[in-house]
Amino acid sequence: MFSMAGSNEINANEAKKVVPLHTWILISNFKLAYNMLRRPDGTFNRELAEFLDRKVVANTVPVDGVYSFDVVDRATSLLNRIYRCAPPENESTRQLGAGIIELEKPLSTTEIVPVIIFFHGGSFTHSSANSAIYDTFCRRLTGLIQGVVVSVNYRRSPEHRYPCAYEDGWEALKWVHSRSWLLSGKDSKVHVYLAGDSSGGNIAHHVAHRAASSGLEVLGNILLHPLFGGEERTESEKKLDGKYFVKLQDRDWYWRAFLPEGEDRDHPACNIFGPRGSNLAGVNFPKSLVVVAGLDLVQDWQLAYVEGLQKAGQDVKLLFLKKATIGFYFLPNNEHFYTLMEEMKNFVSPSPSPSPVCS
Amino acid sequence: MGPYDSSISAPAGSSSTSSSACSSSTKPRQPPDQMDHLLAGAGYKVRSNDLHQVAERLEHLETAMVKSSPVEISELGHDAVHYNPTDLASWVDSLLTELNTNPPAAVGVPTDLPDLHPFPADINMYSNNPPPLHGEFSQQVVTPLEEDVSIRLVHVLMTCAEAVQRGDLSLASLLIDDLQALLGRVNSVCGIGKVGSFFVDALSRRIVNSSQNGVVQDDLSAYENEMLYHHYYEACPYLKFAHFTANQAILEAFDGQDCVHVIDFNLMQGLQWPALIQALALRPGGPPLLRLTGIGPPSPDGRDSLREIGLKLAELARSVNVRFAFRGVAASRLEDVKPWMLQVSPKEAVAVNSIMQLHKLLGPGQPIDVVLDWIHDLNPKIVMVVEQESNHNQSVFLDRFTEALYYYSTMFDSLDACTAQPVKSLAELYIQREICNVVCCEGSARVERHELLATWRDRLTNAGFAPLHLGSNAFKQARMLLTLFSAEGYSVEENEGCLTLGWHSRPLIAASAWQAVPEPSATMGQINHP
Repeated sequence: MFSMAGSNEINANEAKKVVPLHTWILISNFKLAYNMLRRPDGTFNRELAEFLDRKVVANTVPVDGVYSFDVVDRATSLLNRIYRCAPPENESTRQLGAGIIELEKPLSTTEIVPVIIFFHGGSFTHSSANSAIYDTFCRRLTGLIQGVVVSVNYRRSPEHRYPCAYEDGWEALKWVHSRSWLLSGKDSKVHVYLAGDSSGGNIAHHVAHRAASSGLEVLGNILLHPLFGGEERTESEKKLDGKYFVKLQDRDWYWRAFLPEGEDRDHPACNIFGPRGSNLAGVNFPKSLVVVAGLDLVQDWQLAYVEGLQKAGQDVKLLFLKKATIGFYFLPNNEHFYTLMEEMKNFVSPSPSPSPVCS
Repeated sequence: MGPYDSSISAPAGSSSTSSSACSSSTKPRQPPDQMDHLLAGAGYKVRSNDLHQVAERLEHLETAMVKSSPVEISELGHDAVHYNPTDLASWVDSLLTELNTNPPAAVGVPTDLPDLHPFPADINMYSNNPPPLHGEFSQQVVTPLEEDVSIRLVHVLMTCAEAVQRGDLSLASLLIDDLQALLGRVNSVCGIGKVGSFFVDALSRRIVNSSQNGVVQDDLSAYENEMLYHHYYEACPYLKFAHFTANQAILEAFDGQDCVHVIDFNLMQGLQWPALIQALALRPGGPPLLRLTGIGPPSPDGRDSLREIGLKLAELARSVNVRFAFRGVAASRLEDVKPWMLQVSPKEAVAVNSIMQLHKLLGPGQPIDVVLDWIHDLNPKIVMVVEQESNHNQSVFLDRFTEALYYYSTMFDSLDACTAQPVKSLAELYIQREICNVVCCEGSARVERHELLATWRDRLTNAGFAPLHLGSNAFKQARMLLTLFSAEGYSVEENEGCLTLGWHSRPLIAASAWQAVPEPSATMGQINHP
């Protein structure tokens, strides 16, 4: 016990050296709260989790040029929160009813407007689309890309295990593709990208894979320190265990909560290119931007994912942020945040070629 | 003391005078503390000056947790009651207390120890406007419309409302015809079709009767009122949530009290009180003496409906051995009630219970101020306030109309999903009367002047009340209550010590608890005494 306390002091100081004060407070708060929510027997204190989660309402009055509204997908009863840029000239005289009316029209009939479907993180267990941290992030992202972000809820573990989150992600993709008011460009289609952090990144991969098999178009994947894993203990897991907010045993807990009972971490949901993984060679998989935080203990799995995509001949760009910890993108108070924003913006920018590709 | 006292009637139409016995001193206002805006965007309110101390406390909490077993830590999630997670500093402190660790020096005392490992500086390359306080923006859409005819319906509704606002009644009447035609084409069984017809109806009444002065809504008989109320109570969880949450808070506020007095601002059928009576009967140490004063409209035709309810409740109390006394106070309007009618004794612990009533005092003359003053002077242990979570009190008609359209659409959606009661027409009529009042009426006739929780917070704070936070235990139990309803989609949320019940991500009802802050002027008087 004594030595554990001692090593814990060191760990606290490690993290303090590399993250700004606000980030340290925010992520530490989550870490300690989440410790209380995960029960040793594998169940989850959902009531307290929902009580503690800071949620925010959508707002049709634009803030920083972005407004949002919620739609419940009647098929799944899951919430989708849509973020859009307010047209600048109407911002001051915005009719409250205009938000509803605009759903008649496509985003544009001439320009391509990117639509990012965002899957929030939380290790398949925590958070929602209307969690404050994700609402703020999506709002920023929308302004950045000058497009639309659709932040979606999915059924969470341990109440709903694999493959529920992937099913819900798939439904969300189909829903987005079928909205007439998300069409853009001269080719009049929904220009969809998938994005997600942590478990959201994992979901984005699996939904993209299914989309590729089904012929539903996804223009690109953005994976923000996506949640992957495997039975083997990698170097990064051993070296960084407990050092920067995350313990390996916590990661294990979340996989046990998500994967079917009795399964191990080499399950293809978790270990994409592992012994039971799929071969993506020849698959019409979208281009990927994979962001890896250099102080994330999961990084070796994320790097293995990038390698796997490369070996399969897929288009993948790795953004390795050496000194970043998990959750660096929640607050705009560090250089990694701005680097990420720039990369994401470029990734979804419509092709510079004069005529958009017609499918 | 008998099981009940005879009703006392307030003279109808009596106005509140400024020479009332209630003092209206100016209550001190807290200076605004500088809140850190980065953490505000994550949903937390931390004073900028406190950041380092909060960080320190988090470190202490982590150390304390490391020393505990995993079982102890997850028990912390169970047994401890958590309050107001937005106030991060207090939340962390409460956990430290739970783990029996001595918290470090109180906030505001600077630590002398140098920061051995200073945090890297926050980069602020862009000017970050402080994020909006999310209570400020209320307009939301939970079920936006995608069918052409529904969109058209809303568009014409808005245009019509705008014409009404401008006084162009001939155009408005033409648009009503358009609307009737559209209603014929839209699915009137659910969604915007159903609530849309109520709004069209309300608009046409406003046009037909009197435009600028608004209409006066027909009064229903007491029986009709009760019928609608009862069906609304059964068809959806809003009233149940209100009663349940209020009773929970009142029970806690009455802990250790031997004589308690509940003042119910709208007794109706007294549906809230059997549960409280039973809870008090079962409380460890035995029940207190319970007095209930029920306020309600005078009954016509010689009936004394307040007394009848009182009798039923007395019978229930007798059956569970709770000493009980009831008094009915008949008043057509809440502002007609005077504190002396309530006969509050200084020895008793008082709970004021207002379920969807205070907003009725926001009309001309603002009787709310006088009423809040005398509530304050009763020195209540708890004031329970439940209100509709929307701004239907905007002076600009179009804004009010739009907000109501979104609010009641959402409420109707939620009603649709409840399968407990297949026929909901009477519950819908209850809601329709609210809609009609918001849309058609003006001046003193418009009583449904709903305002947002953020506004009520300001108002109650200015009137000398401090919040009593509703915690994770109340939250948990409210969620359990909801599981009794087959409809998935209702959500209970925690909002800075208050609880809201809503449909998906849209809160529709907000419950908050308050206590009176003692007057500083009393102390001043003592100091000045020779």
